[in-house]
Amino acid sequence: MDTFIQLTVDALTLGSIYALIALGYTLVYGVLKLLNFAHGDVFMVGSFIGFGVLQLLGGTSNPSVPIWLLLVLVTLAAMAGCAVLGVVIERFAYRPLRDAPRIAPLISALGVSFFLANSMQLLFGAEPRNYDTFSLSNGALYLKGLDIGNVRVSLLRIITISSAFVLMIVLWFLVNRTRTGKAMRATSFDREAAAMMGIDIDRVIVFTFVLGSALAGAAGVLFALRVPTTVSIGFIAGLKGFTAAVIGGIGSIQGAMAGGLILGFAESYTQGYISTKWSDLVVFSILIAFMIFRPQGLLGRAEIRKV
Amino acid sequence: MKKAIALVFALVVAIGATAAAGAKPTAKAATAAGINCKSTLTIPFVTPVTGGAGFIGTEQVTWAKYAVKTLPSQFGLKIKLVVGDTPVEQGPAPAQALAQKYVADKSVVALLGPSTSGAVVASTKTYFQAGIVHLSPSATHTDLTIGTPGDPLLGTPAFFRDVPGDYIQGPADARFMIDKLHAKKVVIIDFQEPYSVGLADVAQKTLTAAGVSVTRLSAPNTTTDYSAYVTKVPSDADVVFFPTQKPPDIQTFGQQLIEQGKKAKLFGGDGSNDPSVFKIPGSYVSNFAPDIGGIPADAAIVAGWKKDNPGKTLGSFGPPAYGAVQILLRAIQLTCIADHGVIKDRRDVLKHMKQVRVKNFILGGAFRFSTKTNDPLNAKFYIFQIQSNGSYKLVG
Repeated sequence: MDTFIQLTVDALTLGSIYALIALGYTLVYGVLKLLNFAHGDVFMVGSFIGFGVLQLLGGTSNPSVPIWLLLVLVTLAAMAGCAVLGVVIERFAYRPLRDAPRIAPLISALGVSFFLANSMQLLFGAEPRNYDTFSLSNGALYLKGLDIGNVRVSLLRIITISSAFVLMIVLWFLVNRTRTGKAMRATSFDREAAAMMGIDIDRVIVFTFVLGSALAGAAGVLFALRVPTTVSIGFIAGLKGFTAAVIGGIGSIQGAMAGGLILGFAESYTQGYISTKWSDLVVFSILIAFMIFRPQGLLGRAEIRKV
Repeated sequence: MKKAIALVFALVVAIGATAAAGAKPTAKAATAAGINCKSTLTIPFVTPVTGGAGFIGTEQVTWAKYAVKTLPSQFGLKIKLVVGDTPVEQGPAPAQALAQKYVADKSVVALLGPSTSGAVVASTKTYFQAGIVHLSPSATHTDLTIGTPGDPLLGTPAFFRDVPGDYIQGPADARFMIDKLHAKKVVIIDFQEPYSVGLADVAQKTLTAAGVSVTRLSAPNTTTDYSAYVTKVPSDADVVFFPTQKPPDIQTFGQQLIEQGKKAKLFGGDGSNDPSVFKIPGSYVSNFAPDIGGIPADAAIVAGWKKDNPGKTLGSFGPPAYGAVQILLRAIQLTCIADHGVIKDRRDVLKHMKQVRVKNFILGGAFRFSTKTNDPLNAKFYIFQIQSNGSYKLVG
């Protein structure tokens, strides 16, 4: 039972981060029908911005502000930095290709991905960056927490999971309960009709990139709070986020959240109950199975084409 | 149009033929002309200076530079040290590309490194075919120097090392777990790459033979989150042995072990011997070099190195690099004497490697190669325990 609880906690931690990344894919796809393959690298940049701000605030061994404020500032800085990065990417890599055949922005996205990863390596080197949260208050984030039977859910995990869920709720509210969210949904449904109704499409698209990239930035920090980050982390994180988005139904916000969690559970339970070597195999087999049997994903809509 | 295509084709053929014709005489000139011992000879150092194992190369290069600054005049040589980076995350490609580059450079007489076992496997055949001696100060995979029917030789006769292999490290680590830590249940995690799997296998063999219960796990070397692996560590496990070349990973593993309230002691190999990163108190780590700060004969060398590298801490990866330079210089000197001042062929250096003797070797005692393998004779591994202040204390 302890193993099951522990694996479930692992799954929630991992899944909530995958869900945040998947949301970025799904938001952009919903509005632009573009697979933004640079999204994983935005996540990586977010983790590096967080690291930089953490160092500016004295690092974990000698922070100049209280721990809670430190974590909030680091996350907000990464979200803001990534939001700006998302806007720049949209403006220079995707907007000029908006009316080009769909393959053109896809190739551009891959180009941006390589550009970001290699630029970061040139600027900061390939060394892993460790937030070293273990040094905060003598390991309090690891040693304190909630005990469920013999399983300890550390404070760090509670922070990671709850922050991710709060961000997902905020996003849901933004998309479903605000005017801008309504404009996003309208653009997603029919871009031309939305434009004719007076919606500023450019503004909506920029806002979509801001939202998606900010979530990637937050995910980057939540990820790097627990494990070291490197410039190459974006590729695999992006791939997992994309898989989660496809499983959930790309274009569906609730689907991306569900897809991320499903992926987290699949990975964690496979590692725990089958073999640690098999987790990626199982995860990507699920992706293939969805592509064959339910290409629209769990909560996505099947595309109906007029012939 | 046809004419234009024919013209372009002819041009391409002509350029190709010129390039091919030009390549052959250059390659011949490199071996036929010989290398004057009075000229500046190049020794490349192939080591990771960036990436997860960058700490290894960064430390080694400071010692190699210090050796090249202070030693060549004693051997009547002029040496230029160049550094080739092989980040472990990029796999075998950088080591292979560097090997092609250094083989083509006729001023290269011998080579330091490659520092990691994976990079040796990727490039040793290229160096061997060109007759270039390559001496590693840290690649410890057993099969690089010893081949058995089950585990064929991965190295070549041109590969040497001045540190002992994992066939000594694995059993030494395992014996320490059995004799000093009284381990009854051990979890071994390998990182699915040559160094880690090799060391894990050797240690497992010794532990199993001693009746210790061993659980073997295997993580892809792209793993960043070890939660699931930690979950699989039984709560009554005494030791977790995790040989990795990326200290941040063993540090993460240790943190997650504590996070889940597991009491097992964490044990790393030489690849995780980095006090600035791996600092879980009470954990253990092995290395092929002792703390040379305690060897009186090394006092002047240590003082000189510290003067050149203010603020840097004395680690375990650097001193074998200093020793490797010393060994190579002596082998080159012996070759120069035998070849009357002109090294006729780079293979000649290889012939003199086993004749090298160093009286006061930096790692303590005298140095010579074994007659059976290209390993040092009578070398051993040392075990350190991480203290509450993060320092490493020699305990075995």
